[in-house]
Amino acid sequence: MSEDLVTSAAAESALRQVRVQLISQQEDIALPESTGPILVPTGLRRYALSTLVNNLLSSEKPIPFEFLINGTFLRTSIDEYLVDNGISAETTLEIEYVRALIPPLHIASFQHDDWVSATDVLSTTSPAASWASGATFTKGQERILSGSYDGLLRIWNMSSETIATSPAAADGGHTASIRAAKFVSPNQIASAGLDRTVRLWKYTEGEGGFTGKISPQLELYGHKAGIESLAVHAKSNRLLTGSADNTVGFWSTKKADAPAAPENLLPSSNARNTKRRKLNTSVTTPQRGPLTLMSAHTAPVSAAIFDGKDATVGYSASWDHSLRTWDLVTGSLVDTRTTSYSLLSLEHLPELSLLAAGTAARHITLIDPRASATTVAAMTLRGHTNAVVSLARDPHSTYGLISGSHDGTCRIWDIRSTKTDKEGVVGESVYSITRKSLEEEGKSDSKRVGGEGVKVFSVCWDKTVGIVSAGEDKRIQINRGEGVLSSKA
Amino acid sequence: MGAVIQHPLNGIMNPKAASKKRKAVTRDVEEEAGVFSGDELSKGNLDGALSDNSKDLSDSEDDDSDSEVELVDDFSDSEDGEDELDSDEIPSDTEEIKPAAGEPNFRIVKDANGNDRYLWDEIHPDDNSELSEVDENANTIGDIPLKFYDEYPHIGYDINGKKIMRPAKGEALDALLDSIEIPKGWTGLTDPKTGKPLQLSQEELELLRKVQMNEVPSEGYDPYEPLVEWFTSEQEIMPLSAAPEPKRRFVPSKHEQKRVMKLVKAIREGRILPYKAPEEREDKEEELINYDLWADEVERPDHVMHIPAPKLPPPGYEESYHPPAEYLPDSKERKEWEQTDPEDREKDYLPNDFGSLRRVPGYDNFVQEKFERCLDLYLAPRVRRSKLNIDPESLLPKLPSPEELKPFPTACATVFRGHKGRVRAVNVDPTGVWLATGGDDGTVRVWELLTGRQLWSVKLSDDEAVNTVRWRPGKDAVILAATAGDDIFLSVPPIVDPEIEKASLDLLDAGWGFAASRPAPSASEEGKKSAPPTWIRPSSALVDAGVCVVIPLRYVPKTISWHRRGDYFVTVCSGASTPASVAISIHTVSKHLTQFPFRRRLKGGGPPQTAHFHPSKPILFVANQRSIRAYDLSRQLLVKILQPGARWISSFDIHPTSSSASGGDNIIIGSYDRRLLWHDLDLSQRPYKTLRYHRKAIRAVKFHPSGRYPLFADASDDGSLQIFHGSVTGDMLSNATIVPLKVLKGHKITGELGVLDIDWHPREAWAVSAGADGTCRLWM
Repeated sequence: MSEDLVTSAAAESALRQVRVQLISQQEDIALPESTGPILVPTGLRRYALSTLVNNLLSSEKPIPFEFLINGTFLRTSIDEYLVDNGISAETTLEIEYVRALIPPLHIASFQHDDWVSATDVLSTTSPAASWASGATFTKGQERILSGSYDGLLRIWNMSSETIATSPAAADGGHTASIRAAKFVSPNQIASAGLDRTVRLWKYTEGEGGFTGKISPQLELYGHKAGIESLAVHAKSNRLLTGSADNTVGFWSTKKADAPAAPENLLPSSNARNTKRRKLNTSVTTPQRGPLTLMSAHTAPVSAAIFDGKDATVGYSASWDHSLRTWDLVTGSLVDTRTTSYSLLSLEHLPELSLLAAGTAARHITLIDPRASATTVAAMTLRGHTNAVVSLARDPHSTYGLISGSHDGTCRIWDIRSTKTDKEGVVGESVYSITRKSLEEEGKSDSKRVGGEGVKVFSVCWDKTVGIVSAGEDKRIQINRGEGVLSSKA
Repeated sequence: MGAVIQHPLNGIMNPKAASKKRKAVTRDVEEEAGVFSGDELSKGNLDGALSDNSKDLSDSEDDDSDSEVELVDDFSDSEDGEDELDSDEIPSDTEEIKPAAGEPNFRIVKDANGNDRYLWDEIHPDDNSELSEVDENANTIGDIPLKFYDEYPHIGYDINGKKIMRPAKGEALDALLDSIEIPKGWTGLTDPKTGKPLQLSQEELELLRKVQMNEVPSEGYDPYEPLVEWFTSEQEIMPLSAAPEPKRRFVPSKHEQKRVMKLVKAIREGRILPYKAPEEREDKEEELINYDLWADEVERPDHVMHIPAPKLPPPGYEESYHPPAEYLPDSKERKEWEQTDPEDREKDYLPNDFGSLRRVPGYDNFVQEKFERCLDLYLAPRVRRSKLNIDPESLLPKLPSPEELKPFPTACATVFRGHKGRVRAVNVDPTGVWLATGGDDGTVRVWELLTGRQLWSVKLSDDEAVNTVRWRPGKDAVILAATAGDDIFLSVPPIVDPEIEKASLDLLDAGWGFAASRPAPSASEEGKKSAPPTWIRPSSALVDAGVCVVIPLRYVPKTISWHRRGDYFVTVCSGASTPASVAISIHTVSKHLTQFPFRRRLKGGGPPQTAHFHPSKPILFVANQRSIRAYDLSRQLLVKILQPGARWISSFDIHPTSSSASGGDNIIIGSYDRRLLWHDLDLSQRPYKTLRYHRKAIRAVKFHPSGRYPLFADASDDGSLQIFHGSVTGDMLSNATIVPLKVLKGHKITGELGVLDIDWHPREAWAVSAGADGTCRLWM
């Protein structure tokens, strides 16, 4: 008798239909206005719905879609979704569809001499290009910047050729490893590293774009320990750095604005150093100090960023488990959010008013920095197996995020893609990008203990170039997903 | 005697014997005979009315036996003879007499003379017979089935040969009417003989009623008539007979004697066999030997440990031969039972309904069952177990689950590769950014903690291993102390900013002046082995690398432990050949001074192994192989001796919050005999807890240095680290809670050595280990 019930229930569910209204925010894939609610069987899953939408669009090449109901991705059949959420099948269900992300494919890898600690992209869509005062940048001349542990900055073009290399330490370059590097504008670069300096470089390219020159422009002194991160806001000519001396530095890129460098921190001040290293730099670079050094953290500051909308607000994350909000105008501490993990990276999602922080506890925690927020952590994204040291926003989606971790993978997250486990709602990574170097060694399956040799130190996601990640394998790796590129309107 | 009892044997008496009796009647018997009416004897059942109280009335019998020998022969012929004699008793034939009186068979008529004339009924030969009355209309067909006449209008013939016509069957209405007015004696039956409705007379009906009511059918029988006590115990004053008591009452009975003699004779001749007990015969027949197993069984004294064999459960309804229907299995259950393996069956039988006991067949499993029962009884030991009714869970200490005790290191986050050969020492700097390691290749290296990037390396010795590396505590200066061979090196790695580097260099250089101002040791003192060494500047190559001061000890120091202020550190040369007076040395950085506080060897327990300063008090803990001593440095006193019970202490560590707000001193001790011991100094000299979880020697133990995480870890030669939760409370009454949290595996065992050193990050719950496989690992 029970069997009869089951079969009849199955038959019933197969026959049950629900009225759905398919909508899309993207105009290129939007259905015609006339398309009203349609009746679909409740047994449909993502794939069937995707086929349906493709049929409705009568697109030549099927586009894979993901479906959002009430802001979460449909991961079950509609029927199960309705049952789980207690929604009547008689209501009209509003389903939003978006393009599904396609696994990013490996495009190229650029080999370095040493570990690559920082990377940035210059393209038409990169922030540096948008900040450029003049239209000095042309399409098709995408450049990739890398900062390495050997203390050198390198500029690459897309055909894996080094266009320019920064001068060595003797010629006014970094005297220690670079930990962070960013394009300020198409012809200005900022870098910082373990030699406790922030350096601004002038970047000029020769004719045809096959040669270039990086020349020192400004040296900024002020930090007493290695600089871990660097953020740039070119419009206001401001830099923000986080350092292992527990301070957040706020700097000006303009020589005129910046105060004088503190004497005691200049390399010439140390008798032993001058004696030992015999620094006879052929070039003399102007030396300046910080606008403000904001100290409140009690442990190394691992990341400092500008607010995505308001350049007078900065956020910093530190090993002391806290995330602090700074008013950069006055250099005062506004707010402190304390988590229970060391925070190693930070990214702002301005549209969602969320800060994503990568932790040493192998996950990403989303924090609402607004004073009204009551909970410390809005959501947790789990999946990495080692410290998450780098974060970047998805240029296509306000919900997207990419993280680079010491476990040797980059993971793409959509904060709408969630699952529920015993600790509540946690995010799931959509895709995981492994290092190509592992595959080339034929050990793609083998798991490196602690990501040894393949640690990712920096990741950058550009709309044009794709995902650029730098790591311990001495490479910059570029990945790009086909579907990812057809951008959201 | 009073009751008249009919004896069945009396009825066997034959008339001939009775007549013989008549011949020998005595006088008083004659009187009795006169009582009888003549026709009594004709009725056979009269004899049954006689009672057999022969003894009292047998005197006439005796007389007969005296006189007539023939009679005796009769006796011998039949056993009944004795009973015959009893026949002449007073008959109790009251019933027989009554009908004769109550039923006059004559009529009194007046004859011609006017006298009464008795007109007797004509006597028919068969007066009793009902059939004797000739029924004119009686059917004479005899006892044949009447259906033979079904085709004919008549149903037989009367005695005159005329057809007896079938009585016309009334119409249905008539039959109904007949049935409504039921006449007396109507039965609804048809007399088959006559074909008429069978009518019963009043007497017949009464007879039927009596039969139905279980009454005596004969008329006039009164079951409740008063009892006539013929013979009573009452002694009448006037006896019925005046005859004197006959003599025979007093003489022994010759008759009896004769009978006895006859029996004796018969026995002698063997005609009568004496009675033998039937048991004897059985015994002879059965040749089987039955062993009585319990013949010599002594009843056991009542004792708690004696358990009698358990009894079989009594049979229930199911085992009945005729169980109630609900116990009977239906065909499905029966099939299922038959299909299951006999061993898996829930019960050995199926309830069966046999209807009655005589249909119950023999039980084919009987022998099997009894055999199994016997097996059970003697194979299953019956022991009374003293069962503790304690929940085992309740005996376990209530420990919090590891999940609640997060964070603690769970996975390897970074591998530091670079050392050739074993890494012997590992230490995280006070800011928690750098990691210093020293190894068998004679180098000291400084690494970026999180990424595993090597920042600085210096080769202190070409052929001797770096035994230990320790950062100076405090953030005001960055000084790294390392030992390689006989020397102690103090260096300032060029990784810090100029300000701190300068402060560090100044701190180290300040002592040169103090050393110079000291009077130079005399020549005699210099020759002595116990003379304190002078601190010297290293070679220029080392100076360029960052090394500032070298302290040349003459023996190999194995451990360094800084005082928390960063001005002193203690080194221990644990080699067996080291003289006791120079084994432990305390170095003062600010004065470039080395002192040997101990003149003599510590008593008992071999050479000193390691030493640590107390984190807050001026106490120096020194461990030799078997004990740990605490010395008060200000008073220069031995404060305490700990006896952990380990055979060879490898390392120990003092709880960072010891003697501060939260309670007393706690020390963990690792030993080469695989034990990790927790000492609460206030509690006892003996360890509070002994943890023996490693398969091989424990090399290093370490508390988490900040008070924030109550963690400690040990490193062992089996290649694993173990992380423990060890929280100390301020409450003096509660003991420390120790929970094993995690075993961290990853280091390869190289040359019988696994993990050689361990350290904690100063703030985070991260641990660093140095392995014999040439790697260091960060665990987070």
